Amino acid sequence: MRESTQHRKRRDPVHIALAVWGVLVFIFLFLPIIVMIAYSFNTGRLLASWEGFGFDSYLSAIDNPIIRGSVMTSLGAAFGAAILSTVLGTLGGIALARSRVGSLSVLLATGLLGITLFTPEIVDAVSMLPWFVSLGTDAGIAPLNNGMVRLVIAHAVLSVAVVTFIVRARMQGLDASLEEAAADLYATPVKRFLQITLPVAAPAIWAGALMSFTLSLDNTIISSFIQVPGSTPWPVYIFSALRVGLRPEIAAVSTAMFLLTLFALFVVAMVLRRSDQSPEEIAKTLAAA
Amino acid sequence: MKRKKIDGATALGFPTWAFVVFFFIMPLLLVLWYSFGYKPDLFTAHSNDILSLDRYAEALDATFIGTFWNTLKIGVIGTFLCLIIAVPFAYWMAVKLDPKWRALALALVLVPFWTNFLVRTLGWQIILSPRGFLSDFLQNIGLIDGRLDILYTQTAVQLGVVYNYLPLMILPLYVAIDRAGRPLREASADLGANRIRTLFQVTLPLAAPGIAAGSLLVFIPLMGDYITASVLGGAQGNMIGQLVASQFNTAQNWALGSAMAVLLMLFIGVAVGVCALVALVIRYFVRRSRRVVFLGGAA
Repeated sequence: MRESTQHRKRRDPVHIALAVWGVLVFIFLFLPIIVMIAYSFNTGRLLASWEGFGFDSYLSAIDNPIIRGSVMTSLGAAFGAAILSTVLGTLGGIALARSRVGSLSVLLATGLLGITLFTPEIVDAVSMLPWFVSLGTDAGIAPLNNGMVRLVIAHAVLSVAVVTFIVRARMQGLDASLEEAAADLYATPVKRFLQITLPVAAPAIWAGALMSFTLSLDNTIISSFIQVPGSTPWPVYIFSALRVGLRPEIAAVSTAMFLLTLFALFVVAMVLRRSDQSPEEIAKTLAAA
Repeated sequence: MKRKKIDGATALGFPTWAFVVFFFIMPLLLVLWYSFGYKPDLFTAHSNDILSLDRYAEALDATFIGTFWNTLKIGVIGTFLCLIIAVPFAYWMAVKLDPKWRALALALVLVPFWTNFLVRTLGWQIILSPRGFLSDFLQNIGLIDGRLDILYTQTAVQLGVVYNYLPLMILPLYVAIDRAGRPLREASADLGANRIRTLFQVTLPLAAPGIAAGSLLVFIPLMGDYITASVLGGAQGNMIGQLVASQFNTAQNWALGSAMAVLLMLFIGVAVGVCALVALVIRYFVRRSRRVVFLGGAA
């Protein structure tokens, strides 16, 4: 392998063209993000027309109770959805990996989760709204009238399949002999699960939790349908601000959220690094969705 | 003993399956049920007292069909553009890039993917704004005469969807090309195949699962997307998702909106099915025309 990298000439025109293409694609990928960060320092009244440099937008965003509320709603929903979908996804992923391959129940479960991934979000959104209304208002299940409960459930539905598949991939890579050894040594099923299975699955669980956290923070369409007044998450706030004109505060908060996401990504990368994985494997685990 | 273990494993997943059935499958069935109903009066969103297929007939009017074709056009062109951009890029990352930079490059691809979808799209709104810096710049260097006039057009929507879904194409392609491995390409070169031949007969066929996965990951959410169109396409709206949403948000006609949602899912299923069929037919003819069968390549 090393030999071949060496005998391939660095001045090769195809190589150069591909490298140029690579850099161009990176510029394309980062352009709007950089623009958004730059415009968060815009002191003007409207986001898109640049006036001058300053931190005004950050200060007025912090002062604005509606913005603060929506950011807190988003973070709360993201934590809730991450916990719920990580618990469910971990159970599901271990169940799939440890069931007989090709059995009917595995096929059904995989198919079920597959449909959640391949359904356009707008269809999820328009179906969850009447469902929550029927259960909450008509059937009288009061918790489902709570905006936060609705957001957590809806976002967890979106990401449970992702967590399940990440955990399943991790568990399939390792054979069941460790768990069997524990059973042979008279560990109870609960002890076996807590002391062997969970630690083994941990990197995938972390990756899944991060994935569902960011999927929840990102979600706009479903949230905008099922939200209840008073618990508007941040993306829905932006989306409704589109109609009245965007102000630089939006860029400021988005920049802060962007840094938060990067931080979460960094933390999980560190956690994964403590387990045995190479950087490339970590990136692949995170990309597995 | 063995049987007991299997039962335990399936039962472990029970809360998960129950959750998905209750909060995903049931709502879908409810929408299917609603689609057979109607909107009784101005203040009621739906009723199922009389069941009919009338909403479907109503949904399939000229606006819906026109918008659907428009969405399909944006979706197909968008998926194709993503593919054209992503194939050389993923190839570069997996093959050409120095392995020590590879993890960083992957992380960099992930960053936009992890950034809020809506915020990224707003970034394009700023860039494409007629009074924005790109417009000024292009006018200064004399590339355009008046102000940049892309925002709130189909072109902007097309650009936006390509941008928003590009990482979803790059990642599976990267994994597929990386998995295909260098030894096979080298074997191909050693056996006297030139680069073009290696590309078309070894690298791309082996990347086929990645191409298929990436295309699905881009095409399906793209067809249901209405955020990109709302931010970059302006108020008139030209994607099917906006049409479905407006039945629920503005018109408050849940029956008609449900019928549209069901049709959207059906159409996406048909479109994906047709594409899969075309891909299979192409593969069949490619395999038949070249007698070189790739033993073990599928494994």
